[in-house]
Amino acid sequence: MSFNSLQFLFFLPIVIGLYYLLPHKFRWMLVFVASCYFYMVFVPKYILILFFIILIDFVAAQDIEATKGKTRLFYLIASLTANIALLGIFKYFNFFNENLGSVFSFFGKEFHPWNLEIILPIGLSFHTFQSMSYTIEVYRGNQKAEKHLGYFANYVLFFPQMVAGPIERYGKLGEQLKLEHKPIYKNFSDGFKLILFGLFIKMAVADNIAPFVNDVYWNPLQCNTSQVLAAVFLFSIQIYADFYGYSTIALGCAKLLGIDIMDNFKTPYLSKSVSEFWSRWHISLSTWFKDYLYIPLGGNRVKVPRWVFNILLVFLLSGLWHGASWTFIAWGGLHGLMLILEKLFTKLFKFKMPDRWNVVSVLLTIKTFVLTSFIWVFFRAESFQKAKDMFKAIIRNVHLPGVDISAVNAIVFSVILIFTDSVIYNSRFDTLLGSYKPQYRWVCYATLIFGLMAFSGTKKYAFIYFQF
Amino acid sequence: MVKQIVIRILGLALIIIALNFIYNFTLYDKDLYNECEEVLEMKKKKKETDILYFAESSNFNVQDKDSTKLCISEMTNLFFPKLKIIAVNKPAAHAGLYRYWLTQIDPSYKPKAVIVTLNMRSFDAPWIHSKLETPLQECIMLIKPYPNLVNRFLLSLNAYDNKTEAEREKMLQNEWEWTEIKFPFPFKYNTVRAWDNNMGWGGYKHPDGSWDFPKIGLACHYIKAFAFNINDENPRVKDFDFIADWCAKNKINLYLNLMAENIQYADSLVGKELVFLMKENRDYLVKRYNKNNCVVIDNLEAVPGKEYSDQVWTNEHYSYKGRMTVSKNVANKLKDQFNNYYIKAY
Repeated sequence: MSFNSLQFLFFLPIVIGLYYLLPHKFRWMLVFVASCYFYMVFVPKYILILFFIILIDFVAAQDIEATKGKTRLFYLIASLTANIALLGIFKYFNFFNENLGSVFSFFGKEFHPWNLEIILPIGLSFHTFQSMSYTIEVYRGNQKAEKHLGYFANYVLFFPQMVAGPIERYGKLGEQLKLEHKPIYKNFSDGFKLILFGLFIKMAVADNIAPFVNDVYWNPLQCNTSQVLAAVFLFSIQIYADFYGYSTIALGCAKLLGIDIMDNFKTPYLSKSVSEFWSRWHISLSTWFKDYLYIPLGGNRVKVPRWVFNILLVFLLSGLWHGASWTFIAWGGLHGLMLILEKLFTKLFKFKMPDRWNVVSVLLTIKTFVLTSFIWVFFRAESFQKAKDMFKAIIRNVHLPGVDISAVNAIVFSVILIFTDSVIYNSRFDTLLGSYKPQYRWVCYATLIFGLMAFSGTKKYAFIYFQF
Repeated sequence: MVKQIVIRILGLALIIIALNFIYNFTLYDKDLYNECEEVLEMKKKKKETDILYFAESSNFNVQDKDSTKLCISEMTNLFFPKLKIIAVNKPAAHAGLYRYWLTQIDPSYKPKAVIVTLNMRSFDAPWIHSKLETPLQECIMLIKPYPNLVNRFLLSLNAYDNKTEAEREKMLQNEWEWTEIKFPFPFKYNTVRAWDNNMGWGGYKHPDGSWDFPKIGLACHYIKAFAFNINDENPRVKDFDFIADWCAKNKINLYLNLMAENIQYADSLVGKELVFLMKENRDYLVKRYNKNNCVVIDNLEAVPGKEYSDQVWTNEHYSYKGRMTVSKNVANKLKDQFNNYYIKAY
């Protein structure tokens, strides 16, 4: 079920109402049933994959805790292998096969790739990563294995964040799911604010940008330089609004149930550097890679060549996590490369990032936005050829009349989002709004409601991150 | 806490009511233009409208070789030069849309009559489950009977019948497979699938013994388009019931303009059983709607086969002669109500 559907607008109040009406001991069942239903609206049979992940990791964690020495490691590896194998089959099998075919044909050998005719289960990378973090934490001794299968299942399935994160740790989400939450007015109020704001930025901002960006990416060579440039920058805003909108709604839904989940975004386009960008963008994934890959590889406490390798590996894998395509890998790799260059530059020239906002920090922010926007081209383009066409159109099509498409709506809503971000900077929407006087708060509500109801895109676009 | 929440919900409801007013005065017409332009046109011309003519492409489809490019509504207007017939057209439109268009008539500027195109194929499964249905449903979202701002929001939530093409195709195949066609006489095929398969595998051959695929294809298409029984459960019947009731309630004379179908080809390609179904369905519609303030204009057999623009497909697109015949029939029926305005145009 999608957050931006009528079905969800009925589903949520029913679940919230029942949740607080039921005695605490039955609530986990409600959350379980609601989450299963939420997921099964997409492709019902794929719930079995989730059950498989849940069972494997639940049992593995028990075994890891109950055993010692190498046996623990065996259970951990078994659990991780099962999770990665699932990802491999559903997400990477065809990609691997096609590339194998290319290698064979390069050497003049014949190879007929056998592709699986399957649809990628929604949010598979999110569930597997969340579930893997649990077994790793149990292995490391930071987390006790959960004895109640229902609670653990709810940790993997929790409907507000199951299909596109944030990727939560058991210590935070799992433990909260076990607590008895009383209905508190502030939670309702904050939850409502977050859902309203999240829907606004998804439906009014992202969905108004999508048609323009789609048109340009459909055939960039027919568009002129300004149109293609606009699409490059607008896609940055679109993907941010899309994912930030989802995460904010997720936060709001969880809040209504009395549960706090982590912020996945902290105004990333106000970052002065690529490294700061990654501390503000998709925070739950960045911290996952940091905790479970970058630091175990030695992090930055190694010699420079090894550190470069670590960074590149993490970012290449992060790109691959997004999708089984070389363009995603390139996107990750470019980010890694930029981060390395930036660090080396800072070290070499002993450059210090300004703490306060001044002309230099504004210029650095613009530089980071422009850089990340151009790197997003590889993320958005379905092939290298398309990415190449985008860049070619920017350089060559200066004098072309372009196609008849308007970016006015998209630009207006992008400006609104950037303005909102600059107001929210380092805070959160509900916190900020809560600090306003009631009359201003209600003006904000009215504005958001009008924006949402009257200006949302008339075509509904699925959340971009659902495909991962 | 409950009191706090109730007060805030009421506050939000008030805000939405106020915002709805703002929306109606500022953005509604612009959105209507984008989504449902024909209704906006109808509203703009409400003061000058004497007769409204709701139709699909049968009204405006003309051919290059036609000696006159006038559409059916314009030709009908020639018989009543002092009246203004305003056409509201949309390709593939049907009663499910007309019923919403109708409710957009301003009660202070009611037309003297409404002519609604009654297209027999629009009752069949391929039209009901057509892939065009999703965009058609989208375009009537803004005129649904809810506050306009709510309609606009529902539109962005895609809260209408927005089944995918695959889902619609599945429903169509299911209907062809399982819906029984009833005849009052013995006939060996009782589903579209069975009849269609028989035609497909044993249809027409050239003198040299090879399959005559174009002819087989057309015959199969006639079966798929007309082999069905209209009954009370048909969704289009329910839509026309609504239209008839609405017009009766609002005291507007209603003319259901049953369009001509290529009976000749149906007979020669498929046979008398198919023609029987077509006529039986026509009789059902005439009997059901030809009462009170409603008149059915029966054009089913009015246009000869050669006057259809498309000779290799079923449709209701006619040459200028065909359109003249239909418009003349319409004018003849309108004459009863508008006798003082009538002139013999041709």
